[in-house]
Amino acid sequence: MFNLPIEGEELFVLEFGDIVNYFSLYTTTLFLFATAFIIIAIIARPERQTDIVFGTDAVYTKEINPDNLRFQRFMAIACGLATLGAVCSGDLFNFCLFTALIGITNIGIVAGVNNRYVLNAAYNYGIVAMVATTFLFGGAATALGTCGTLSIWELAGLGMVPLAAKMFLVLGVMGEGMAPFYIAKAEITRAPGAPYVLMIHVSSLLIFLRIIEIILTV
Amino acid sequence: MITLILPAVFIGLLFHGIHRKVIARIQGRPGPPIWQEILHTLKFSFKQTWIPKTASMPMYVFIVAVSIAIWTGAFYIVFSGGSLLLLFAVFMLHKITEHGLGLSSGSPYGKFGAIRSVMSAASEIPLFATIAGIYVVTGSLMISDITKYQEIHGPLLIHAFPIAIALYIVILSKMHYGPFSIIEAKEIVSGNRTEHFGVWRAGLEVAYALKTFVLLAAFVLLFIGALPWYLMLLAMLILLVSLSFVCAFTPMLSPFDAVAMQTVITGILAVYIIFLGVMG
Repeated sequence: MFNLPIEGEELFVLEFGDIVNYFSLYTTTLFLFATAFIIIAIIARPERQTDIVFGTDAVYTKEINPDNLRFQRFMAIACGLATLGAVCSGDLFNFCLFTALIGITNIGIVAGVNNRYVLNAAYNYGIVAMVATTFLFGGAATALGTCGTLSIWELAGLGMVPLAAKMFLVLGVMGEGMAPFYIAKAEITRAPGAPYVLMIHVSSLLIFLRIIEIILTV
Repeated sequence: MITLILPAVFIGLLFHGIHRKVIARIQGRPGPPIWQEILHTLKFSFKQTWIPKTASMPMYVFIVAVSIAIWTGAFYIVFSGGSLLLLFAVFMLHKITEHGLGLSSGSPYGKFGAIRSVMSAASEIPLFATIAGIYVVTGSLMISDITKYQEIHGPLLIHAFPIAIALYIVILSKMHYGPFSIIEAKEIVSGNRTEHFGVWRAGLEVAYALKTFVLLAAFVLLFIGALPWYLMLLAMLILLVSLSFVCAFTPMLSPFDAVAMQTVITGILAVYIIFLGVMG
């Protein structure tokens, strides 16, 4: 791809006018992985959480009404579709746009849980994602101001994108992909809907993997 | 390439058995025979298998298949001289499967294992440092180019020792009974694998055997270079025994300490890579 020894061979390109998405061995792998988890989010039914009764050996199973998880499922599918866009985009602006969409849908997945603690967490993540958007688009704007284009096709191998812009982009992706923030907190133990919660993790890691490829390429 | 997968699985399982044996002998125990993990896998393959009523289906089963698929892909990447970036991707995707395993069952132990798995995402950062360092030194991320580079300039183990240490820590973080194995600590039963038993567990054992084989082989290829198959296996065995020594002598760290230590190591490596980049 771009004759750079980074991500393996080019498989095919998908043109939408002057927007040219590309599928290398690397981006296709990420694309297929995201597709598999979108299918899982569509067809899988949520798990029934078991919990231990405090101070005893007893275990009880929580009853989860699938109707309550409908919004979470919708958001997980939307998040998966945004991830598909982000992993194959051949343009920095589109990548940032899809990444911001991933951040928004991730908040939606968390906010869909009918629990005030989890909802409070969603509010906190919303602030993190909002701040991260500034860095994300700031990075893209810096790259545009310096190079005059945001097309990865044009920028590949030139090394023209300043280090500061790359750092902004990475910071932005870290903020939008909020899996580490969410999973390491206690709310995860309260939130049902494993296939949808997992989509947060899938999208976060895939955009992180994609931004690494982008910063090495440009 | 496909015909090599089966031997790789058996060698990986044998390595797991040797790992347990070495740890046991260091700790003054007789330990299990070295083929114990192969027997375990065969035993699980024929045990009664069912799916918990609380599990998220089909994710509970799908995630096992994904585990096997990604490490089969990683095997292909390493031995076809593919991109190191793809190997990094597989390693990250493995984190998703670890997380999914724990979440899909509905078990609180599985869920805690899954949470710890994500918390220990710091173990992936040294791998990124390895990739960045190798790119700075060799100018390529294709494993075939890196082995060619070593044929001309000598092993990277000597030229870029700190980068080798980073990958060594990555492999250590994925070893059973290691200081960073917080996802399978005994206080959470079997962690994220608690509710996967029978043929599902056998599938996971196969995936993890492939994972061990691929990571050890990747280390040898990246830092020593291409070797004849018997020397390659010998180098992998020596590497494994050294890891077993570390695991035998080091207690399991607390989740906080495990993440903190990996982050500090990555910070040191980042400084080293910046130094390499600046000095050309």
